[in-house]
Amino acid sequence: MAAQYGMVAAAAVAGVAFIAFVAAVWYARSQRRIATRVQTQIEQQREALALAEARHDDEQRASSGERDALAAEVARLTDELEQQHARFAVVRSELECALVRGGDALQRASRIAEEAARLKRFADTFERWHEQMTSLMAQNQDMHQKNQELASIVSHVLIVSLNASIEAARAGAAGRGFSIVAGEVRALAARSQELSRSYRDSLNRNDFVTAATFQDIQAGGKMMAASLAGVESLASQLHDAFERAAA
Amino acid sequence: MISERTKDSLGRIFMGAARSRLPARPDDACEIVERRDGASPKQARVVVVTISSMQFRLLLLLHFDDDDAMRDYYVSDASRPLTDVFTEAANLCCGAMNQQLVGHFPDLGMSTPYTLGGQCMAYLAELKPDHVARYDVSINGAVQIGATLCVCTRAPLDFVAQESAAEDTGGELELF
Repeated sequence: MAAQYGMVAAAAVAGVAFIAFVAAVWYARSQRRIATRVQTQIEQQREALALAEARHDDEQRASSGERDALAAEVARLTDELEQQHARFAVVRSELECALVRGGDALQRASRIAEEAARLKRFADTFERWHEQMTSLMAQNQDMHQKNQELASIVSHVLIVSLNASIEAARAGAAGRGFSIVAGEVRALAARSQELSRSYRDSLNRNDFVTAATFQDIQAGGKMMAASLAGVESLASQLHDAFERAAA
Repeated sequence: MISERTKDSLGRIFMGAARSRLPARPDDACEIVERRDGASPKQARVVVVTISSMQFRLLLLLHFDDDDAMRDYYVSDASRPLTDVFTEAANLCCGAMNQQLVGHFPDLGMSTPYTLGGQCMAYLAELKPDHVARYDVSINGAVQIGATLCVCTRAPLDFVAQESAAEDTGGELELF
């Protein structure tokens, strides 16, 4: 029995010793893994640092280049600004001269507009002439009526003279002298009739030529008034443009 | 002095203006035939309107009779004489021509219309015209109007009116 207890105890001691050994081995391995990992991390950090330093150097170099370029650009812009300033002085001087001239042109444009507006009143003159045409045509119409009346009288005289000739013929020898007078009256009436026709034709010709001529004058007047209105409008636009430029 | 295409253009401008302005109502049929016999229309009265430019003057002469057919067609207000009413139509017709021509000749002026006796037409040659064209205008087959276009110029005239130009609604109201 005691021997049995002794064997159990020995086995237990051996078991504990084995577990202790295994634990010691596991611990040792674990320590080695941790050490290896730490070492790896240190190396990675080192490499990252080296990389960051290299990048920083690059950036510094680039920054230095940019600074130089910027300085050059600032110098160039400064030069350009000076040149622009000089040019601006010239332009301002020219503008001042132009404003003086513009003031003169403004006055001229204004004058042209006024003149064009004044000249448009020519249309009134043409209208006056046209009114004269109406008066002339009324006179012509009056002469037409009088001539028509004359033609009617002459026509009547012709008939009377013809009747007189017939009556004279009936009277035979006694009417011979009267027949000669009647013939003379008829001849005079025929001439009057011819004259009246000619007078009527002249009046018709007068009507047409007078109306056509005065219409041409009236239409020409309107044409000129329209053209002058165009000139007036252009001069006003020019005047406005000068005023805007001067403002 | 006046090119053939100018004569043709003037004819088309007149026809367009006449079709749009002479009928009293827009739907009325208006037929226009050019007279080739050289004879003036025979109507007793004629309305004359002149368009003047720096290059030329154009007379539009519209011939009419003061008869029942004309009065029935044109006079809606019995208190107005036919001559007044037809003179207004002639003025509108010439105004429409003026509006078309002003696109080609910027400086144009138009007279007020005037009515003359038809016998005056015998003296058209007194103006020494460079171009004369005559037309018969019939509205609804009942109203007969004559038309004469007379152009006098001292400078060569050459222009082409757009095909549709004369047909456009045109013709501002010319007050007289």
